[in-house]
Amino acid sequence: MPPLIRPLRPLLQKRIPLATALRPSTSSASGQIRTHASVNHESGASASSQPPSSTDTSTSTATPSTNQADASAPTDARMPRSLAALYLKPLRREAEYGVPSCDLQLRSYTLRNLEFFCDFALRAAYYLGLPAYGPVPLPRMTERWTVPRSTFIFKKSQENFERITMRRLIQIRDGHPDTVQIWLAFLQKHAYYGIGMKANVWEFSKLGVGKAMDESVKEVEGLLKDKWAHLGKKKRPEEETVEKIQEFLDKERMRISHGR
Amino acid sequence: MEIYGRHSTSRLAKVRCQVFSTTFNPEGIRTGNKILRQRLKGPALVSYYPRKMSTVQDMIKEFAPYELVVDNEEGDDRLEHIVALKQRGKGAPKKKKGPPSKHEQKGGKKR
Amino acid sequence: MSMFRAKKFDLGCFVNIKTIRDHSKRKAFEAFETQRQALRYCIRNQTLPARTRAEAQLQLTQMHCYTRPTQIRNRCILGGKGRGVLRDFKMTRFNFRMQALEGNIPGVKKASW
Repeated sequence: MPPLIRPLRPLLQKRIPLATALRPSTSSASGQIRTHASVNHESGASASSQPPSSTDTSTSTATPSTNQADASAPTDARMPRSLAALYLKPLRREAEYGVPSCDLQLRSYTLRNLEFFCDFALRAAYYLGLPAYGPVPLPRMTERWTVPRSTFIFKKSQENFERITMRRLIQIRDGHPDTVQIWLAFLQKHAYYGIGMKANVWEFSKLGVGKAMDESVKEVEGLLKDKWAHLGKKKRPEEETVEKIQEFLDKERMRISHGR
Repeated sequence: MEIYGRHSTSRLAKVRCQVFSTTFNPEGIRTGNKILRQRLKGPALVSYYPRKMSTVQDMIKEFAPYELVVDNEEGDDRLEHIVALKQRGKGAPKKKKGPPSKHEQKGGKKR
Repeated sequence: MSMFRAKKFDLGCFVNIKTIRDHSKRKAFEAFETQRQALRYCIRNQTLPARTRAEAQLQLTQMHCYTRPTQIRNRCILGGKGRGVLRDFKMTRFNFRMQALEGNIPGVKKASW
């Protein structure tokens, strides 16, 4: 039985029969466990196997309020795809060119949380249309400390402590920089406890970046022009004297150092 | 290479430095750029000790003017414990006021 | 020195005259770090006249000792001790052991291998 999460609550409350909720499609008679939600292939198979009289099953599972709905619902109805996908491995998009645009490294001391959050990140990437690769398990970082149990003279009795950091790498390829930023912001907003994230983001641009930046500076200057007007700068009498003193000092330094 | 000689190679190096905007320093004079390249480590060093955060006492003080009471669980526990000690007769002795009298001093010194 | 000490008490860890002193040294160092680096640059730069370099040397030696990075020592945030401090946790070995056994330090547990 898959882990219990919210979509299964009506089932627990005996409002829909088990067959309706747990069977993704009638074609699973072969007894194989599906791990990938391959939408295209499955939709064709289930459509052919379902009787034409079956009503829209997604509505019946979404609002299983009455017993009447139970009676009318066909036994071979399936969960909506979006729900069924929750029990399967996260969907992925294919990268066309395979140019890496973001490397996200996740670190944690607990494996469970880490795996869960990786899964979450992959799903988020799928729904944002980002081709994600991973999670690649990177080598664990083991740190160990040995400390004496008590005072100096009892050095013979020591104790070892360790901290193991698990790491996972998720790579986004061919992602638009803005979309990648949205993805990262989303992950940060829904940050999970005990998980650290670190992202390397790569952006590509056309040749002549410097020129483009210069042009953008001009634009910004145009925007800021009326703002600068408020920051008026008067020539104060002190400034002139400061300049004069500076000149004198420079001369003096030259004299002392014999013009070197 | 022998046609060019040492002088021309150094000139070549100079031009190369101009083109790629690197420093041309054939004699290896120390310019101290090493120091300029170093990062400032002050911010990292300053953040070593944790900064002061608001305590329960601060909260009590803040809310006192508005006649709001803040629960100070640790303080309440302490007071309760002291009351219990006093009831068992194990509390702290009363604070003395003024210098000890002569009689007490004698008793105290006796060994 | 009291002139470098914060006017308002600002430490959230174990407080001790030694920790306060160390903290004010850190702050003094941060405040004068750029100046020290500039002087150091002048001293190392052989293209500058010898007199300037000597002046810079004198100035650097005459700066207050609290602005020196070597004055800073890592101290335990739980007991203020200056020796046997684990850099990763800013604690002495004993405090670290107690905290680790209580499970207050995330991820740290007893090791056996």
